Amino acid sequence: MILNPRRLAVGLSLIALSSLARAAEKPRIEVEEWTQANGMKWLLYERHDAPTVAVGWVAHVGSANERPGMTGISHFFEHMMFKGTRTIGTKDIDLDLKLIDEQEKVRAEMRTEMSVMRARLRRGEIASMDEPAAKTPKYVELEKKFDALVLQQRDNIVKDQMDQIYTKNGGEFLNATTNQDWTLYFMRLPKNKLELWTWLESDRLLNPIFREFYSERDVVFEERRLRTESTPLGKFDEEFESMFWEAHPYSWPVVGWPSDIPMYTLQQAKDYFATYYAPNNLTGVLVGDFKTLEAKALIERYFGRLPRGPMAPEVVTLEPKALGEKRFYAEAETSPTVRVWWQGVPFVHKDSAALDLMTDILSGRTGRLTKSLVLDKKIANRAGASINPQKYGGYVSAEITVKDGQDPAAAEAALYEVIEKLKSEAVPDQELQKVKNQSKANQYRRLSNATFIMFQLLQNEGTGDWRRINTQAEEMDAVSAADIQRMAKQYLTKETRAVGIFTRKKADSESAAKEDPEIAALPEQAQPMVKQAVARMKAETDAGKMRTQIEQMRAQALSVPPPMKPVFDLILKKAEERLAQLEKEGKK
Amino acid sequence: MNVNRLIALGLPAVLTASLATAQAIPDHPEKLAFAPLTYTPPVARDQRVVLKNGMTAFLAEDRALPLVNISVIIRAGAWLEPAGKEGLARLTGQQMRAGGTKSLTAEQFDERADFLAAQIGSSIGETSATASLNCLSDNLDDALKILIEMLREPRFQEDRLKLAKDQLLQDMKKRNDESADIESRELSVLLYGDDHVSNKFSTEASIKPLTREDLLAFHDLYYYPANMTLAVSGAFTKAEMIQKLDAAFAAWPSPKRVVSAIPAGIKTAAPGFYRMNKDVNQGRVSVVMPSALRTSPDIYALEVMNEILGGSGFTSRITKTVRSNEGLAYSAGSGIGFGTYYPGRFRAAYQSKSSTVAYALQLVFDEIQKMRETKVTDEELVTIKNNIVQTFPSSFESKAQQTSIFAGDEYSKRDPLYWSTYRDRIQAVTAAEVQRVAKEYLVPEKMIVLVVGNQAEIARGDGKHEITIDKLANGKVTDLALRDPLTMKRK
Repeated sequence: MILNPRRLAVGLSLIALSSLARAAEKPRIEVEEWTQANGMKWLLYERHDAPTVAVGWVAHVGSANERPGMTGISHFFEHMMFKGTRTIGTKDIDLDLKLIDEQEKVRAEMRTEMSVMRARLRRGEIASMDEPAAKTPKYVELEKKFDALVLQQRDNIVKDQMDQIYTKNGGEFLNATTNQDWTLYFMRLPKNKLELWTWLESDRLLNPIFREFYSERDVVFEERRLRTESTPLGKFDEEFESMFWEAHPYSWPVVGWPSDIPMYTLQQAKDYFATYYAPNNLTGVLVGDFKTLEAKALIERYFGRLPRGPMAPEVVTLEPKALGEKRFYAEAETSPTVRVWWQGVPFVHKDSAALDLMTDILSGRTGRLTKSLVLDKKIANRAGASINPQKYGGYVSAEITVKDGQDPAAAEAALYEVIEKLKSEAVPDQELQKVKNQSKANQYRRLSNATFIMFQLLQNEGTGDWRRINTQAEEMDAVSAADIQRMAKQYLTKETRAVGIFTRKKADSESAAKEDPEIAALPEQAQPMVKQAVARMKAETDAGKMRTQIEQMRAQALSVPPPMKPVFDLILKKAEERLAQLEKEGKK
Repeated sequence: MNVNRLIALGLPAVLTASLATAQAIPDHPEKLAFAPLTYTPPVARDQRVVLKNGMTAFLAEDRALPLVNISVIIRAGAWLEPAGKEGLARLTGQQMRAGGTKSLTAEQFDERADFLAAQIGSSIGETSATASLNCLSDNLDDALKILIEMLREPRFQEDRLKLAKDQLLQDMKKRNDESADIESRELSVLLYGDDHVSNKFSTEASIKPLTREDLLAFHDLYYYPANMTLAVSGAFTKAEMIQKLDAAFAAWPSPKRVVSAIPAGIKTAAPGFYRMNKDVNQGRVSVVMPSALRTSPDIYALEVMNEILGGSGFTSRITKTVRSNEGLAYSAGSGIGFGTYYPGRFRAAYQSKSSTVAYALQLVFDEIQKMRETKVTDEELVTIKNNIVQTFPSSFESKAQQTSIFAGDEYSKRDPLYWSTYRDRIQAVTAAEVQRVAKEYLVPEKMIVLVVGNQAEIARGDGKHEITIDKLANGKVTDLALRDPLTMKRK
């Protein structure tokens, strides 16, 4: 719905700066919505300030559509969409298809071997699927055969040809991104190259070939290492999120669990494409210097070729209302942090705008969290809140960087004090108007760049409704102090929150010697005892004496009090390892 | 949507459908023909205005949205910090915004700015300082007033300074948390040296003793109209804006002072291999060397060379080899920058799991070697030159971008012909020239290689390829210890 601009000014709250009213005349854009016969929807917005067009399309599918065992395939699939088509990316399509077929046969045999390996892992015979020793001889042999086929195919591939064609034609930032709800493909082109885009994009939707499938799994795994595994908080964020969502598929990471990434199959990718990439599950977006009539003709000619597909299955799982607070304590290489997530609402929910405004009251330089925790109580260095409304659900979050030397528990308590005040007292008019003024100005700022507008249209559309780019400002303007109070009471409850307390872990460099992970896993007060014992064992060079000590320990095993059992077990284990080492050295 | 528009759109839909069937689709995109597109970039002198007090401003009207952008470049930066006071420049810039003004306490200033929905910023970087305002045009007078107050009479409120120091000290403790942070910091030291303006790290000892008086003195020395350049764009009429700016700066006299120049010297470490241990499962590798000053005639060939080698995503060689062919990295490529005051840097980089770090490095070296030994293909050359030329208009996409480019050029005294000749100079680059600059700049004996990661695992290699870091380095590797994050001394 597009509102009459004049009514907006009337809708402004009573104490708005009079000058703001005039500025509110056009916080919206005239987007044309159009749907092709095959069901592909288009959002077209002409804007002639630069000789370029920002172009993209969204597939209404993300990790929420996955299932255990193939988590992350949406994101992986996004990578496969850059691997070419029957025309793009190969010198000889028939040879290409033949080699892909042969590779698949070898991979099927490799998967059988991986089942054997997984069984060994369950029995504890190998420590992980990745270690070189885990591979069966047959697997190693198959791997060689497979690598040879890849090399053979490489001669027939025209490397990353789509990217090359776009580059040659003045294309910029060709890329794609995946989240739980959507997969976006986008770029920017000189305005005279729109037909090139319609050619290449419709081609990859019509005739995609998922070549270089297996090396791309490795690329995605490197992406996982880059973003999640080798960053201080990546894995913690992943686990926290996983704890927060009980039933909903939002609980698994978009990039996928590490066990699943190496198991994707070509057939899964083909099925996935057939299920989710039909035109009736896609929306295209054009923003920039084009003429709508001409663009529609091009779109019709190229995208009109795509056959309508079956309706994509809906995500039906609903997150149950949480019954009790969840808590997560972790030591990480980061400043001490308190993180609280409360169950919230989806993007299109009627409370979304009020919740958004409520977190604005809490955030920023003059936000209540800064005033109370940072400036007044001086227990935090930073504090803020925000909402994360997604397609099927969402959360309200607060994050506090606790001042060094201050107790995270005190910071958490101070946060709840601020929240309780939101529940017990209406927000004063002046304060509410402040955040409304800001949201209105931000609404204009969001419209200042064609590429950014394209992203917002794609994201809003993928998350539930593109129109919110125009309606959000009015939705927020309609929020009252009573609404804010109701939001706090209804959503910011103890039962529906998950709390993360992060304290700083000593970096490797800070501990005297490199930490033994098994010792580090013990409670802090127990660690010195084990460390001393291990040091004594290292000094012991007589295998016989070591053996005697172990026998003595075993004799005492039953009398160890239960709380000491993990410590005792670890010392015994270390002693056995030392003995084995001494015996091995003795044989040399 | 109003009725007129609906009808207007309804009719041509029929035409659209008939057009669709009329034209055939070529079987390959290279057969498509495109209308010619010419583009003339904006010219600085069209936007340049000299205010009554002698300040230079670049003004561009843009009425699409009721917003105004003002940004101020001030000749100040970390190069002016007295020794032992590292962090003073940064704190001064930040506290100008956070610490109130003569007439407004910090709390009042923040409330005022937030209620006006004005985004006001201030920061002092290495080689320049900036202040900025983005506000609704209707609030311009009120917002401009507090921007000028902030620039001229910052209060530097004590409690805000204390908070900023707490924040800074806590952030400093994070210096070794991310392997990426360790890598970028150490690369800069290896390339430019400990004393360089890029590497003036704040320490506990340099931050703790800083006082409000230190900030006031630093501010006083550099913040005056004659030391500022303005970039202004948005919904206003030029004549009116000039009046407002003249009035805003009128009562503010400028002393006769010359700010000392940014030092041009660099002290690059001995070429070779450097290693730093960090327990993560992916190693970060960079191959770096100084490039050139932006005044060098080689920058055009160097830019094309870098794009072909590793700067143009999937189209470039390193990305194709390391990522696309071998699956060894998510991000692999190269970049080149040209310095305004001191040489920029060339950097090839990737991140790969510990076991394949060495093999990927071999592949990167091979690609660099190939750049030196053989000419790039015509196809590569045309692809890259076309891209650079055709994406050129993007730099000037918005009026805010235009004014800020021109103000930056004025500040740094860029050759006024740079933008108007840029595309021709790119088009003139030949394959022979690309090879010449590759040979001249990408000299293997001059390269610095930094590997950050779990060195024990990296040293083991992947068991599939013979190569190891030790072999690549001929056994000559310097191990660098992590620095203590608060003293920045190596442990």
